[in-house]
Amino acid sequence: MQPVTITLNQREVSGRSGMTVLEIAREAGVYIPTICDDPCLEPVGACRLCLVENENTGALLASCVTAATPGMVINTHSSRVQEHRKNIVSLMLASHPDACLVCDKGNRCRLHQVAAEMGIGEPGLEKISRHAAVEELNPFIVRDTAKCILCGKCIRACREIVVEGALDYYYRGFAARPATFNDSPLEHSECTFCGLCLSLCPTGALMESENPYRGTTSEAVQSTCSFCGCGCSVSLEIKDRQVVRVLPAPGQLALCVRGSFGYEYIHSRDRLTRPLVKKNGTFEEVSWTEALAAAGEGLQRAGEKHGPGALAVFGSSRCTNEENYLLQRFARTVLGTGHVDNGSSLYNLAIRRSLGETTGFFTTSNFLETLENADLILVAGTDPTVTAPQVGYAIKRAVHNRKAKMILIEPRRTRLAFFAHQWLRPLPESDLLLLNSMGRAVIEEGLLNREYVSRQTEGFEDLSDFLREFPPEKMQEAVGIPAEEIRSAARLYAGSTRSVIVFGSGVTDTINGTGNIMALANLALLTGNVWGSGCGIYPIQKANNAQGACEMGSLPDALPGYQPVEQEETRKKFEDLWERKIPAERGLSAMEAFNSGREIPWKAVYMVGENPVACLPRPQLTEEALSSLDFLVVQDLFLTKTAQFADVVLPASSFAEKEGSFTSFEGKIGWLQRAIPPLEGSLPDWEIVLQLAKEMGDPLPYSSLSQVMKEIEEFVPLYESYYRPDDYFARELEKEWSYWEERHHRVFQSMDGFSRFSPPRPRTPYFQKDGEYPYYLILEAPLAYFGSGTRSGKSRRLRSFYPREVLKISADDAAELSLNSGERVKVVSPFARLETVVEISEALPAGTLSLPISFPGVLDLFRITRDDRRSPSLEPFYVKLERVNLDE
Amino acid sequence: MSEAKETPEINMGRIKEIIESYRHQRWPLIPLVQQIQEEFGFIPPRSIPVIAEALNLFPSEVQGVVSFYEQLYTEPRGRNIVRVCRGTACHVRGGKTVLKLVKQQLNLGENQTSDDLEYTLETVACLGVCALSPGMVINNQVYGHMNPKKVKQLLRREEGEE
Ligand code: SF4
Ligand code: SF4
Ligand code: SF4
Ligand code: FES
Ligand code: FES
Repeated sequence: MQPVTITLNQREVSGRSGMTVLEIAREAGVYIPTICDDPCLEPVGACRLCLVENENTGALLASCVTAATPGMVINTHSSRVQEHRKNIVSLMLASHPDACLVCDKGNRCRLHQVAAEMGIGEPGLEKISRHAAVEELNPFIVRDTAKCILCGKCIRACREIVVEGALDYYYRGFAARPATFNDSPLEHSECTFCGLCLSLCPTGALMESENPYRGTTSEAVQSTCSFCGCGCSVSLEIKDRQVVRVLPAPGQLALCVRGSFGYEYIHSRDRLTRPLVKKNGTFEEVSWTEALAAAGEGLQRAGEKHGPGALAVFGSSRCTNEENYLLQRFARTVLGTGHVDNGSSLYNLAIRRSLGETTGFFTTSNFLETLENADLILVAGTDPTVTAPQVGYAIKRAVHNRKAKMILIEPRRTRLAFFAHQWLRPLPESDLLLLNSMGRAVIEEGLLNREYVSRQTEGFEDLSDFLREFPPEKMQEAVGIPAEEIRSAARLYAGSTRSVIVFGSGVTDTINGTGNIMALANLALLTGNVWGSGCGIYPIQKANNAQGACEMGSLPDALPGYQPVEQEETRKKFEDLWERKIPAERGLSAMEAFNSGREIPWKAVYMVGENPVACLPRPQLTEEALSSLDFLVVQDLFLTKTAQFADVVLPASSFAEKEGSFTSFEGKIGWLQRAIPPLEGSLPDWEIVLQLAKEMGDPLPYSSLSQVMKEIEEFVPLYESYYRPDDYFARELEKEWSYWEERHHRVFQSMDGFSRFSPPRPRTPYFQKDGEYPYYLILEAPLAYFGSGTRSGKSRRLRSFYPREVLKISADDAAELSLNSGERVKVVSPFARLETVVEISEALPAGTLSLPISFPGVLDLFRITRDDRRSPSLEPFYVKLERVNLDE
Repeated sequence: MSEAKETPEINMGRIKEIIESYRHQRWPLIPLVQQIQEEFGFIPPRSIPVIAEALNLFPSEVQGVVSFYEQLYTEPRGRNIVRVCRGTACHVRGGKTVLKLVKQQLNLGENQTSDDLEYTLETVACLGVCALSPGMVINNQVYGHMNPKKVKQLLRREEGEE
């Protein structure tokens, strides 16, 4: 690139071609006041505050939108410029309400700042008042357009970064202001309350509603969001030992509603602050010493009486990598049991098996940055705008800003349907037929990447033979999509050499879960779109540290780094390190133990951060299993449903109160920093584990968290040199990115480079649609309600905004049953019935219903089945509806 | 954009046809909404999400464009468009009173349309007929040297004609 040299305030400075005058000035350390400019947004030149004078021509230019050209002579502070700037600010103030003293924006207000910089107090102009505030009912954002200075940041942020497009200018001239469609309140627009516009608005026009603290804090601590697997970097603003505001950390474009507003659970009154011990059936508050003694003794006694195989330990996606590492070590060495698991292991297992057996890589094969740069995105069975909002943003940015194409395979009309080029709505449980027929079309139409297939893969002939059974023309009826549409989707996917696949529980948690993943992997292998630039396969991982919990070995079958526990040499490595014997057999998973309906083989369980009663299907089975235990220790932030069954409850600290790391679903490490001290009476999980081990007479040899990190670096593949918290928060983002790329390369080099095709054979569901159970039930995860809701349910604003738990039904079905929104019905499965309220939804095709997964009683409707590859799925998905007769 | 006056007989099928015929053009939005306005007299707000989806735009964006141009309307307009001048020349010669009288006579505010869709009242910065000030225009016919009597007569005549 050609360098550009200009004269800036009598000094020669250079920049790269294409840079604006403002950018060059910034690099040269010359301050130009700005309001509407933001490095993440397209410049628009709205506020004119960044005026500079071109001394060659005498022209005044908005430097944020003026490209630097060689030989320009720029003065950033000539008297003309200063004069104009003052006028601009005075005019803004003239139409601004005199509300600074009571405005929450306080000294964070950019208008306030520039006015102060220029020494403008009273503008000396007649006041002109503008619009009234917009009536908002949501608990997150209030808009007061009278304070709006029309910088357009909210509009651009919403359109360019989170790509909701909720806002645009409305009207022209003096009446212009940012507004939603139909000028409705935000809650009736496309707004998802990501909070981005709020964090960018330079004035008090957009303000956080109902926030616990008004005003400016002096302390902000960078950490990692505790909700989903995207692992966003957050900046926690602290006031009086409370987290009072959460903003995207530098380098993090945007958060979502959970990250921005869900932090309230940290300070919920329901947090546990004293350890509890159950005495004669009721909990009593006790000291930590007593609680740890009771916990240690209970575990020890059960171990001595029934053998170590009667003990089990649960790590959690809520816990850090280091905590999961310690927990599995605690289980394997202190307790001597191989029964270790965490709540995300099943999903992880399905993915590990099916991707591992096909692509050879067992998790996400690339980064979000790559996804955003793909030319074609195939999204199957997931609504990432809800489950993993950063993935949603990246997909929408690719489509909206870069004109990438998107194929959506999804029965529901999700937000992504608006962006899709081709939207396929397969009939229930026909995904595998659809995916196989797409594979068939790719082969039949000669769209495959022959070179890739012959050089990098095995088993093509078998797959090709197998797929002959699935021509689109033969499948179209069962799938409910015309053959030509299936073919055109196959062509679209195969026609790009930069194609990515994103999938989630809509295809994995079904009867053909593993088959679906393999069929998707086959598509990627056939076309050579597995990894490399612009390619990749992205399983959406919902819980925040699901990835890390599994990688740290909180798994029944694997030691840290997915190293199989049944392999002697792996065991030997860890036995030498830990100087203890490790149980050689793989342990039982939680699902196998709690949900088989058989007697639970365990006598004592140490459960950290998991709430199986609220997460597993058919909770009564889990409840029975927990009641049958001799001894249960639960460690959590709240007295969860599971904790009710405990003999000892240990209060844990939240993410804001501890250090450690989370691994995002893309395999990136996010660091936690201690932003506030642990809530009085609680302790970080890792400290509790260390103390418990000590209590049991077998202390783990770590005196600090960084010793644990060093060990992880050395013994867990993929985590070599992950530990860099010292320079992490002062990092340069570019360096950061090259670190991840390098790690990525190492990963692929470590694999043997061969992938193999696997023919995924469809299974016959045990329960099929029949006259008796005619509706297919989809379980949905609402944006603001996370997982089982242990934490999000304790965040007041999230809970208050999405309180309604309803059964959604398509308009056609509702008409047939003559049901109206608001009427009560019973959902009946072969196992249970559930009474609820219906709501007619345009998002659902006829024959399908949906319920939020966090709805109490929903999981009673299901049972677990497993396909022949031992990956469990929920069944049945078919239910019937009964009207609730109010006279009864 | 209130939907109060949106007549229920908007033929969405026809609107979809129009959208279909424009969507593959290079800059389709403005000609498309003009065409809709031509046929329907205004751009029904209900059509905006449909237009947006077809053109890969956001409804707020389409609304932003439509509300930016004075010549695009999102409410039905009256069969008779009355424009009163607010320009300087007219102002100094009693334009304000003329406007007041017209408002009274039609029982309408600026940029309003009567419920029976008979009249729409607008004001204009300068009609370009300053020599005839104060001036007003009814359905493209210019009337100059307005006075209270003339206002009454004119608007009554308009009514009579219908
Ligand atoms: S909160 Fe997010 S989605 Fe809502 S208007 Fe602001 S930027 Fe758009
Ligand atoms: S609301 Fe705030 S961000 Fe949006 S245009 Fe107005 S001042 Fe700018
Ligand atoms: S996308 Fe996930 S990690 Fe990011 S703020 Fe939202 S919940 Fe937190
Ligand atoms: S910062 Fe350049 S015009 Fe606003
Ligand atoms: S000012 Fe009224 S016509 Fe010019």
